[in-house]
Amino acid sequence: MLRYCLHRLLVGLAMLLALTVLIFTLLQLTPGDPIDAYIDPNVAMTKEAMDALRARLGLDQPLPVQYLAWLSQAAQGNLGHSLQRFNETVSGLILSRIGPTLLLMGAGLSIAIVIGIASGILSAVRRNTVPDYSLSVLALLGISSPAFLTALLGLYVFSVRLKWTPSGGMLTPATDFSVGDLLHHLILPATVLSIGHAALIMRYMRASMLEVLNQDYVRTARAKGVKEFWVVTKHALRNALLPVVTLIGSTIGLAVGGAIFVESVFNWPGMGLLLISAVETRDYPVIMGATLVIGACVIVVNILTDLAYAVIDPRIKVA
Amino acid sequence: MPASPSSSGPLARATGRFLLNRAALLGVALLLPLLAAVLTYPLWMPYRPNDIDLLAMNAAPSAAHWFGTDGVGRDVLARTLEGGRISLLVAAASVVLSTAIGFLVGAISAFGGRFADALAMRSVDLAMTLPPVIFLLVLASIVGSGIWSTVVVIALLSWPVLSRMIRARLLELREREFVMASRGMGAGIGHLLFRHGLPNSIDILVVYATLQVANAILLEAGLSFLGLGVPPPAASWGNMLNAARSTAVLEQYPWQWLFPGGALVLAVLAINFIGDGLRDAFDPRADLN
Amino acid sequence: MNLKTTFSALALSAALLGALPLASGNGNALAQGGTISGGFDVGPGGFQGNFNPLAATSGFTWLVTYFEPLVIYDDKLAKIVGALADTYEVSADQKTYTFKLAETKWHDGQPFTAKDVRFTLELARNEKAGSVFAARLGVVQSVEAPDDRTVVITLSAPSPSMLDTLTKVMMLPEHALAAIPAEQIAKHAWWSSSPIGTGPFKFTKYVADQYVELAANPDYRGGKPAADKLINRYFADPAAAIAALRSGEIQFTYVDSNDVSTFSSDSNFKVIEGDSYVVNYVGFNQEVPLWQDLRIRQAFMYAINRDAIIQSLYGGAAKPANCVYVADQLVPQGIESYGYDPEKAKQLLAEAGWNKINGDKPITILTYYTSPLATNVLAAMQAMLAQVGINIVPRAVDTPTYNSIVYQQSGNAGDYPLIYAGLQNGPDASNINIGLNEKQIPPAGANILRIRMAAVTDALDAALAETDAARSDARYQDVCKATNAELPWATMWVANRYGVASAKLKDFVWTPAPAGGPYQAHVEKWSIAE
Repeated sequence: MLRYCLHRLLVGLAMLLALTVLIFTLLQLTPGDPIDAYIDPNVAMTKEAMDALRARLGLDQPLPVQYLAWLSQAAQGNLGHSLQRFNETVSGLILSRIGPTLLLMGAGLSIAIVIGIASGILSAVRRNTVPDYSLSVLALLGISSPAFLTALLGLYVFSVRLKWTPSGGMLTPATDFSVGDLLHHLILPATVLSIGHAALIMRYMRASMLEVLNQDYVRTARAKGVKEFWVVTKHALRNALLPVVTLIGSTIGLAVGGAIFVESVFNWPGMGLLLISAVETRDYPVIMGATLVIGACVIVVNILTDLAYAVIDPRIKVA
Repeated sequence: MPASPSSSGPLARATGRFLLNRAALLGVALLLPLLAAVLTYPLWMPYRPNDIDLLAMNAAPSAAHWFGTDGVGRDVLARTLEGGRISLLVAAASVVLSTAIGFLVGAISAFGGRFADALAMRSVDLAMTLPPVIFLLVLASIVGSGIWSTVVVIALLSWPVLSRMIRARLLELREREFVMASRGMGAGIGHLLFRHGLPNSIDILVVYATLQVANAILLEAGLSFLGLGVPPPAASWGNMLNAARSTAVLEQYPWQWLFPGGALVLAVLAINFIGDGLRDAFDPRADLN
Repeated sequence: MNLKTTFSALALSAALLGALPLASGNGNALAQGGTISGGFDVGPGGFQGNFNPLAATSGFTWLVTYFEPLVIYDDKLAKIVGALADTYEVSADQKTYTFKLAETKWHDGQPFTAKDVRFTLELARNEKAGSVFAARLGVVQSVEAPDDRTVVITLSAPSPSMLDTLTKVMMLPEHALAAIPAEQIAKHAWWSSSPIGTGPFKFTKYVADQYVELAANPDYRGGKPAADKLINRYFADPAAAIAALRSGEIQFTYVDSNDVSTFSSDSNFKVIEGDSYVVNYVGFNQEVPLWQDLRIRQAFMYAINRDAIIQSLYGGAAKPANCVYVADQLVPQGIESYGYDPEKAKQLLAEAGWNKINGDKPITILTYYTSPLATNVLAAMQAMLAQVGINIVPRAVDTPTYNSIVYQQSGNAGDYPLIYAGLQNGPDASNINIGLNEKQIPPAGANILRIRMAAVTDALDAALAETDAARSDARYQDVCKATNAELPWATMWVANRYGVASAKLKDFVWTPAPAGGPYQAHVEKWSIAE
């Protein structure tokens, strides 16, 4: 087990390296550079002045030199400075955004997992009944609405019209921190975020539960007179959770990257917002650093997901 | 294994089961008229999707314009139908592409031996490790906006999840006796893939594909929200919905986003009903009741 | 099981929703002068996250709340008046500028002197410091400080836009910055942690990507500010700022013109309208062979129904531009007005042989405007041009992509045969030179369409060389005449821009100046009613 984990971690490191090369190359293919992003086309600037700014940022160096310079620093734990922000180190920037993102995603996903798994089981067990139909239709509606539209509507109804929740941000400016203030800002974006995930988890849970309930060993258990409640929770649930664990695992891994739509509508200061602005302003060091951090999180979560498999289903050998 | 005494083939049985599924039939009943309208609208619509009329802009639904008009006086019904063409095209094309990639990579990983498994899973991991926000934004700004680049972006973003699920399912299958036997008899990878892999993962494929149609339509809408995706003035449900970003449109001209939004939700709902029906129908282990 | 969780979730949210408005409502009661919050860096002219005025291509509306320049536009953007300079004099040969400085102190209590001015201007001329003014201040020969209250700037040649440039150079404290090497100054931590200026407000803190907070400077020479705190909230897009404005969290933001209707009938808000000083145009890339014939360029003017677009899409809030200017004093009598006439456009195209030159092959029109309004404008233009047989296809890209395409040295003219763009044409009329003068073809300037039209270049050179301020308007009228006749651009209009302020704000001054100004906003007088 320990050897397996070590092996996976080593492979993960190699993958991170491949990932940074890939993103670095992709970034060079992106039209425009940090200086192009800096200039308001309505207030023109000479190309000479732009080239002088370029040289100051080291953007006139050959690409492999730029990459190796970045890599050697990154290997020592220094992700460099943002090109577009004020004296902010990339690691500092990322650290300050991961918290809010994990809070938002954690809240949203927890709501989603509880609602999704519970309603999925209910739907499967009460197959073809009114609760099943209504839950299925609700879930379908949930995954059928674009997240940004739900977010805009939520914002409009609860913030602009009813004035129940703030229109965005994480804390009220110029006031002291309070948990109540934080939750007040969190509730709407987390709820909007949970809708899609809950619906998705519910559907996978239902499909996989139905599958398992039809299998021989479950039928055998039923035939032996085991109570339906125990059939579901003890015999079926473990196996039915397999695909759902995969789904949740991949969602958690990606969660570190933030929820672009929800974060951008609600102005939530998380990774998604950071990345949107970094890509818009071609802030290379921030994009590279974020790639590295998010990549590492995904790799670790993937390893944990595979381990969780082994725990849930002993038939799968971790080799 | 529930052996059916029926003499008809599996396809006929699946069709029979599908026809008994009311939700699936409802889906068909919703989707067919929508598809027919989307495909035939140039024949009967008096307006074309890009005809502007500055004298009738932001007009509410009326006898002349059933769905009203948008900010430059274009007929919202004509644009909703044209948008449906584009959105469904983008969704269908990207799903075909991503399902093919996802299944092949997942199945090869499960059946192809240790080396293939390692290679396939590393590429899946690499693709899944790519932060989607970065990948999406960077890829979209490299290939530029447009219908086919949207298809490619969506497909490249969505196949890895499927691969992992296929692999998970087939790994479980690999340990079963009949597959072990077939491997023992020296069955080729093609045989394993399509005789054992495909039928045994059809439910995953169908559930994935239906959800992915929804995802693809939604992703296209999301790309438009970020200013990528299908570029205006071409119509797509996504870039029409994008108008709701403006509070004035959201509040004062709701028909400009309600109708494309409604069409989008309706189409996705219908496709999902059908997908669920197919899932039940194709499942070789489905309850015959 | 499911219902129970749903219920508890609902109960929890209801409890939170019910309890919290109370908690957040009592924050303002303590503050005596009140806190004014706004999205001062939202929309065009804003520059969220920039704290260094030497690197500011825009965002001056906010920067002048704590920094100050020597001279500044008045709030009508009509004339330049003293700010940190009480008075200024320009010599007869337009080469010597003498400033008499105001008596004031930096936020840390140190006196503001002529040495600070000299230090700032040296820094602003230094490319190594990442100054965006280095090129514009290139004509400065020397900066002298004969005494603490006097600064003399000597130019190597007259420069009519010198004062305009100086309005954007914020004065910086030598005692705080002298120790920092020029190479490190552009992104130094000082700017976003402890900057000091001379303005009515003092910098207190920056919460990354959320807001900047300022506190009143009680010693401000224009009087103690009425408000206690000033907060600049950051918003990823104008729609988010509008939501915050409507929910009462902020009192001001820039608003896209198609969102103005939401506010115009609401007595809780005041809509502020102003000239954008940006002329929008369809630009013809002179390096593609399509646009040699003047008649084809004229056809664009006749084919696009500018009045209809202005009336319906801009709600009337734009002035049609028949040359690069629209200001009354710059537009001479008797220039062609290019009224909407599709038949004439067709005829001109036929005479020029458009069918042989291009016909109905699609032509990409590149733009960096991605707002819903611009999208609608382009859709309207596309439909109107299609009527006369010109098939344009809009391609909207983000700013870096746009800049990387149009500034590229050569070989990619086919990527942008047409552009839909804008350029600042005021309040200083010479701003337009950089995009039209043949001498400004990149890398020297921003004549990105590679326009080589002798009549236009000559008119611009004459206007720039005019040292007699009284005759300057007449010279710019010649520029107008030349651009009207030669049509280097199909000039469309100068649109108005909007800000919306809460009715609670008193003595609030804002105008949609290009790059955010700066202009005299008298921030110290702004106050907020309870």
